[in-house]
Amino acid sequence: MIDYDYKKPESLKEVFSLLKEYGPKATLIAGGTDVMVKIRNTKKAPEVLISLRGLKDLRYIRKNNGYHIGALTTHRMLEQSDLVQTELSALHDGASEVGSVQIRNVATVGGNICNAAPSADTSGPLLALDATVVLEGPEGRRSVPIADFFTGTYRTVRKADEVLIEFQIPAETESFGSAYWKHSRRKAMELPLLGISVALKLSENKEISDARISLTVAAPTPIRAYKAEEFLKGKPLDDDVLREAGKIASSRDCCSLRDSLRCAAWYREKIIQVFVPRMARLAAERIRN
Amino acid sequence: MSEYLYVGKSIPRTIETDKVTGRAIYIDDLKRPGMLYGKILYSKYAHAKIKNIDKSKAEKLPGVRAILTGYDIPDVRVGFIKDQTVLKKDVVRQFRDEVAAVAAISPEIAEEALGLIKVEYEVLPTVFDPVEAMKEGAPLVHEVDARGRPLKSNILPLPWKFYAGDIETGRKASAYTVKDSVSTTWVNQCCMGPSGCVAEFDMNNNLTLYDQTNVIHLGKQRIMEYFAQIGLKGKKVRVVNAIVGGSFGTKLDTDIYEFICMQLALKTRKPVKILFSREEEFFALPPRQPAIFDIEQGCDKEGRLTFRKCEALLDNGAYTSWGATTPSVMMMPMSSLYRVPNVSFEATCVYTNNIYCQAMRGYGNPQANFAVETSMDTLAEEAGIDPAEFRLINRNQSGDETPQRLKITSCGLEECINSVKEKLDWDKKKKDKKKARGVGMASLIHVAGGARVYMSDGHGIMIKVDQNGCVDVFESGTDQGQGSPTVISQIVAEALGFKPEDISLTMGDTGLSLWDAGTHASRHTFMAGNAAIRCCEKVKKQILDMAVQYMPKLIKGGFKRKKRKDPDFVQPDLDYSLISNPEDMDIRDRMVFPKSDPDHPYFKMDVREIVRSGLHVGVGDSRVVVAEEFYDPPTEMLDREMKGNLSMTYAFGTTGVEVEVDEETGEVTILKLIAAHDVGKAINPTLLLGQVYGAVYTGVGYGLTEEIKVVNGRVMNPNFRDYKMLTAKDVIPITPVVVEPGDEAGPFGAKGIGEPGLVPTAPAIANAIYDAIGVRITDLPITPEKILTALNDKQ
Ligand SMILES: Cc1cc2nc3c(=O)[nH]c(=O)nc-3n(C[C@H](O)[C@H](O)[C@H](O)COP(=O)(O)OP(=O)(O)OC[C@H]3O[C@@H](n4cnc5c(N)ncnc54)[C@H](O)[C@@H]3O)c2cc1C
Repeated sequence: MIDYDYKKPESLKEVFSLLKEYGPKATLIAGGTDVMVKIRNTKKAPEVLISLRGLKDLRYIRKNNGYHIGALTTHRMLEQSDLVQTELSALHDGASEVGSVQIRNVATVGGNICNAAPSADTSGPLLALDATVVLEGPEGRRSVPIADFFTGTYRTVRKADEVLIEFQIPAETESFGSAYWKHSRRKAMELPLLGISVALKLSENKEISDARISLTVAAPTPIRAYKAEEFLKGKPLDDDVLREAGKIASSRDCCSLRDSLRCAAWYREKIIQVFVPRMARLAAERIRN
Repeated sequence: MSEYLYVGKSIPRTIETDKVTGRAIYIDDLKRPGMLYGKILYSKYAHAKIKNIDKSKAEKLPGVRAILTGYDIPDVRVGFIKDQTVLKKDVVRQFRDEVAAVAAISPEIAEEALGLIKVEYEVLPTVFDPVEAMKEGAPLVHEVDARGRPLKSNILPLPWKFYAGDIETGRKASAYTVKDSVSTTWVNQCCMGPSGCVAEFDMNNNLTLYDQTNVIHLGKQRIMEYFAQIGLKGKKVRVVNAIVGGSFGTKLDTDIYEFICMQLALKTRKPVKILFSREEEFFALPPRQPAIFDIEQGCDKEGRLTFRKCEALLDNGAYTSWGATTPSVMMMPMSSLYRVPNVSFEATCVYTNNIYCQAMRGYGNPQANFAVETSMDTLAEEAGIDPAEFRLINRNQSGDETPQRLKITSCGLEECINSVKEKLDWDKKKKDKKKARGVGMASLIHVAGGARVYMSDGHGIMIKVDQNGCVDVFESGTDQGQGSPTVISQIVAEALGFKPEDISLTMGDTGLSLWDAGTHASRHTFMAGNAAIRCCEKVKKQILDMAVQYMPKLIKGGFKRKKRKDPDFVQPDLDYSLISNPEDMDIRDRMVFPKSDPDHPYFKMDVREIVRSGLHVGVGDSRVVVAEEFYDPPTEMLDREMKGNLSMTYAFGTTGVEVEVDEETGEVTILKLIAAHDVGKAINPTLLLGQVYGAVYTGVGYGLTEEIKVVNGRVMNPNFRDYKMLTAKDVIPITPVVVEPGDEAGPFGAKGIGEPGLVPTAPAIANAIYDAIGVRITDLPITPEKILTALNDKQ
């Protein structure tokens, strides 16, 4: 029998004391859409599931000196937020593409990032938006740039006694446009074969003054394609430039593409080359003045 | 009076409220007292000798009630050509081979016990490619046949051959010829409800099997045969359907898990349930048969087909189920889709260590249709004729007898092709071609009035009417979700003159039905409908006999009562001869009336009043209203040459598609899909469209996304995450066109429509892709990778 205890604390303090009490026997659970699937697949459950769903004040999307998104915010909330749609468009693209409405209603952005799947649909957008992850443990809070958060497939810098509290996105993002493309074989209930996010800013003379490109399923963790970003800076937004950026992003300088049953590496490479330019164009279109 | 009250109306489904509110009892929900749960241990190898099975540890697990291996049950062969045993004890030939089975007090304990069974294997050489498997020296999948005679080759003793006319004559008459090779792969039926059954024996070893089969009577037959060989000869068997969550072919064979379930129930003396997980649904159920075709066709200068020659190779997998018989259905499109005088079709089935296959919606037709319709397109191009025009030139027509001797009594193909042309704006799109956009079409023929593959293709039905005016229909088919209870109620209401809400249907129970060959081959509405109409005539006759006896009395009694209340009432002078002969009477919408004066002010009476008055009337005169009817249509079994008119009528249809291809990513977008079908007559238009939409979706999946990935015999994507069935969000803009020429043999003119929507969908997409980008993908599914590779090769 797959059996486990379920605790639903009302405050972070309680969470920490439960984590201390049960140590490695406990697993945090938010929406449960990764945790429960894993329990079913492995037929093994932790002794205790500590639910975060009682932490009602960790569900929010705010703009106040930059953007703040609570860890327990559901994908559906992101999808339905005008603020996210217009100012953090890539994140909106990503959140709206998760699973199905039923999944998005319960699954959280914090869970998506803590689970650290190389395919997580909000990870690419948050990388491109240069988000910071705020963690809190019994010793207090610390902030980690999301680019440093993932240490491997399903592995992060989060310590066992820490809870992800919120994502912060810098205020300057306001002047960026961003877009995310989930490349997949059907339109719902799908993991991306590849995810491409681009956030960029244009100067007055329509040159790319800043650009961030991130890729998912292109390496063991979601990654930034720094070399391609470097290349774009100061260049005009034209086909040749974008094509070259796509080439760089798809090269070994940026990613390590693999053949898998789901998709061949050569096709993934091709998709990066096609969608870095397409997402860059879309991101540029979305810049608000 | 010819206007129908219920036929042709979209009456809402009846039992579905129970389904959507979670009340319906599927196998998953079914619990019998003391019931145990069975689980199956499958092979770890694609081909290996079993050296030892140690179940001692598993037997000690608390809660385990029985563990069976091939050593614990009679060594009896089952299956279509008896090439496997229920549990395998010597050799495993595929990953899904059933090696042991557990019954325990909970599914979890049964599962845990599986992990404690130790099986030692010695790996044997494998063969997975059917072409390799045919070669001399290839590892043999089976060393001996069913009778123990040594085998020398992996080729099955099932040579499918069909010849009509003379290919050489056809070749000589050809101005143009083309050759194509196409291939299709495994796809899963993807039933929403997973497979399962509950087997229960009484103390005398009579069996009740709660099951999902769509062939209750044939399923019972197979079990009786099995029983005869395991010492249960003469025991009674009753097969009862639970609510079934889809079948699409999966419930046509009696699967190994069902025999295992019976053995566990026998051993434990308790009811036992086996319920598949989704993973088992993907790797332990036989999917659609894959096939490789080499097809050649020719036509004369005018574009008339001169010959069609095709060879097919089928990867049979390790054992034989209905998949190996799909060539018998492939012969239909091969010989009879479009007019073609000279035909040669040969199919070879070859054993490999892959999974084996069975039926799926359309049987072999979608595979063969992909071959024929690919070739139709390449030949049209070779001959310089527009593909739609080319199909019109060669279209089947009413009155044709095809080379397979199929008698085409009604045929809406011309209208189907033309409506696809019109709705797609075909001619204009062909003329002003836009980059990377294209249109394509494909048509189909399918049995639509039964399919005589057994000596009896009949359907038995019983109808009774009780003193409350409730109509109980006991029919011999099954409902796997297609909505037959609603459709048959409409037919009975119309034919008997009652309302649909008066009618209750009992289906899916061998103990409460006569005989039916099965709810397959798109035959149920046609067969049960025809049986129902004929049965209703008999029932109606009984009611009208009663009516002439009781109506005058009832009417006069009414007058007397009126007179008592109102002394001034004057009894009208009526001509009672109008209601003295049952032949002159009819029933419609619950009212009995004289045909000559349907709106007669006095002679129109609620039928319930008649049955209330006429059934329970004391010793000697009391009676029941009940009739039975067996409808077995005057069709022919295929003869030795595989010819014969096996169906009363045939369905035709055309799918037209407009696509846009992203030439950078290889992605295909369906901009428009027209599904035009000759359905005879739509009994319930909404339910009919449900069949068309569902079948088209599956057809699009077959064309673009669906594929069971089998690597070295192992199913690598046994889940809906990695098996790409399309979702509601993959909106496919389907425009259905319902062509209703009516068919004399059909119930109210109806033809079968369960399968057709799927059949021409994938080839229509392939043809549209070719029109869009000039490359032809001949291997299903048409993935973006295949498109990009082909575009690359073209440059
Ligand atoms: C049918 C289905 C479809 C899906 N489709 C997609 C998809 O399209 N794209 C996609 O990216 N994902 C998809 N997923 C995966 C999953 O829904 C997402 O990853 C989701 O965001 C996880 O959030 P959750 O709240 O359910 O996480 P949970 O399952 O509750 O937790 C996930 C992990 O994060 C940890 N965790 C959660 N919250 C915190 C926190 N605040 N602090 C510290 N640790 C925490 C948990 O301990 C656990 O290890 C799908 C899942 C299912 C079942």
